[in-house]
Amino acid sequence: MAAMAAALRGLGGRFRWRTPAVAGGVRGAAQGAVAGQWDYDLLVIGGGSGGLACAKEAAQLGRKVAVVDYVEPSPRGTRWGLGGTCVNVGCIPKKLMHQAALLGGLIRDAPHYGWEVAQPVPHDWRKMAEAVQNHVKSLNWGHRVQLHDRKVKYFNVKAGFVDEHTVRGVAKGGKEILLSADHIVIATGGRPRYPAHIEGALEYGITSDDIFWLKESPGKTLVVGASYVALECAGFLTGIGLDTTVMMRSIPLRGFDQQMSSLVTEHMASHGTRFLRGCTPSQVRRLPDGQLQVTWEDHTTGKEGTGTFNTVLWAVGRVPDTRSLNLEKAGVDTSPSTQKILVDSREATSVPHIYAIGDVVEGRPELTPTAVMAGRLLAQRLFGGSSDLMDYDKVPTTVFTPLEYGCVGLSEEEAVARHGQERVEVYHAHYKPLEFTVPGRDASQCYVKMVCLREPPQLVLGLHFLGPNAGEVTQGFALGIKCGASYVQVMQTVGIHPTCSEEVVKLRISKRSGLDPTVTGCG
Amino acid sequence: MAQRLLLRRFLVSVISRKPSQGWWPPLTSRALQTPGGLTVTPNPARTIYTTRISLTTFNIQDGPDFQDRVVNSETPVVVDFHAQWCGPCKILGPRLEKMVAKQHGKVVMAKVDIDDHTDLAIEYEVSAVPTVLAMKNGDVVDKFVGIKDEDQLEAFLKKLIG
Repeated sequence: MAAMAAALRGLGGRFRWRTPAVAGGVRGAAQGAVAGQWDYDLLVIGGGSGGLACAKEAAQLGRKVAVVDYVEPSPRGTRWGLGGTCVNVGCIPKKLMHQAALLGGLIRDAPHYGWEVAQPVPHDWRKMAEAVQNHVKSLNWGHRVQLHDRKVKYFNVKAGFVDEHTVRGVAKGGKEILLSADHIVIATGGRPRYPAHIEGALEYGITSDDIFWLKESPGKTLVVGASYVALECAGFLTGIGLDTTVMMRSIPLRGFDQQMSSLVTEHMASHGTRFLRGCTPSQVRRLPDGQLQVTWEDHTTGKEGTGTFNTVLWAVGRVPDTRSLNLEKAGVDTSPSTQKILVDSREATSVPHIYAIGDVVEGRPELTPTAVMAGRLLAQRLFGGSSDLMDYDKVPTTVFTPLEYGCVGLSEEEAVARHGQERVEVYHAHYKPLEFTVPGRDASQCYVKMVCLREPPQLVLGLHFLGPNAGEVTQGFALGIKCGASYVQVMQTVGIHPTCSEEVVKLRISKRSGLDPTVTGCG
Repeated sequence: MAQRLLLRRFLVSVISRKPSQGWWPPLTSRALQTPGGLTVTPNPARTIYTTRISLTTFNIQDGPDFQDRVVNSETPVVVDFHAQWCGPCKILGPRLEKMVAKQHGKVVMAKVDIDDHTDLAIEYEVSAVPTVLAMKNGDVVDKFVGIKDEDQLEAFLKKLIG
């Protein structure tokens, strides 16, 4: 069919026949190899942040669009609805559970502010989980409605390429459909990696795919990994009162500024999270009483360690969801090392009319906002006559650990690597949030630093903020940095008082000066 | 009262669909009407007849079920589109059931869980929940979204019954 289609395309490629809208049901079969005749102008594989944004944008531009989304249950059996990782097993439930944990801290502070709250206040996992899960389900529904309103056809099928313009979708019951499209966007995202080489890992461990959907409390938990997924999960589990241990092979938050990453884990360690550094698990066994026994190797001492836990959460990386796509049938290239899809600056793959966005793409940030923006820009380029490319430079993000870390731009080590130590100036400050004073909260890790070029006007290369509401603080500064703010302009900006944010514009002490960077008083 | 008991025992022998989630066997459009206008459902589990709110309310099982019991219903039907995750639905549901029961069988209520019956909900253009449709002879004649109080529900139902 592909060869025929190609031949006919050569004859009259420009002439497009629109197939009439098919009523209900699961149809939309490939109409045959008449030149330019596809079921859809755009087929999006993956109904997550990137896929939905792209599909809706294209539909708004008047195109015939279809989205296929399918969630393969996790090894534990967890499944979820439309919306992708962010909505179901990422950002949304994470932030809500992070909030639940933060509230625990605020409840502890409350008596200092005059509230007569009996301590300790117990936490009910079930109630929190149900509330979070209900909200996620409402978002699943919201996405269904949105697709319907924007006239995007939706199929809950597992997709695989048949040829470069055709995809076969298999529904849960086994029913198959064929869908053909002029343009195809792959936005299948990723899934957590299971360390299959560790005995018992698959049978007894869970991942971030499962933690947010647990009906019962995970209890005493071992989180294996040093990623933001690991630290964020360990963070909120500790915050709601569970005995939590993080096991790390080497450094925390690889890829992030390492000074900031150390402060993040330092804060967690001094606030109840146990850390097993330089350790790797070798085995997970189930004991007769149902608990899990984990054996690990401590690389620093060379000794073996064991521990018992109710839950083992693997947070050792994510893998792209490309295996079942049959990419070779379409000729789409992937990275040999990561299996992620290779694209150019226009998000185009090795096949001109097939594109890829989001977590599934090699070398891109694994963030919802970048996938969304890339998706919308792609739709505009394909159907809206735009030539704007996605800019992945100076993308802000925040790690929602108990003490949050927001950043935008280069880390200190990246700046030094790029420009040289002599041409980089770092301004920094340890500060104490006003709200911490009354309850006597520890502010040892509340810290902010700005990485700049040394040469006037001292262009800001990166900003790193560790403290409460880091996401809210960083967002505004990301705009300034995107616009090319200089340290001179930062100094000229008046702060809002009393906030933690103002500490950014009050930065005056450089690392180079060797002076004590602790902020004192109001001045 | 005796009349109703007699009717009940006769209907007990009628096997209907398997009740789900503890609901009584569904009301069919051919359900018998007593002279008092109260529609009776077969109840294999009980021998003593009691007035129950659930007599006039039922859960939709699937598309054909909706077609059968709502679209083809001779009695006007109020359709309550709701979701497990929807807080306001949990308030409106029982309130609406109570008001429907008070209408003595002149109107019945179909409950549709939008997660179980997404296509149906989308077909009827439900976006927010709870959404309540008033249906007569297969047509949507009225609709509201969100919570209403008892008086408002009474008015809504009276308007549907006509």
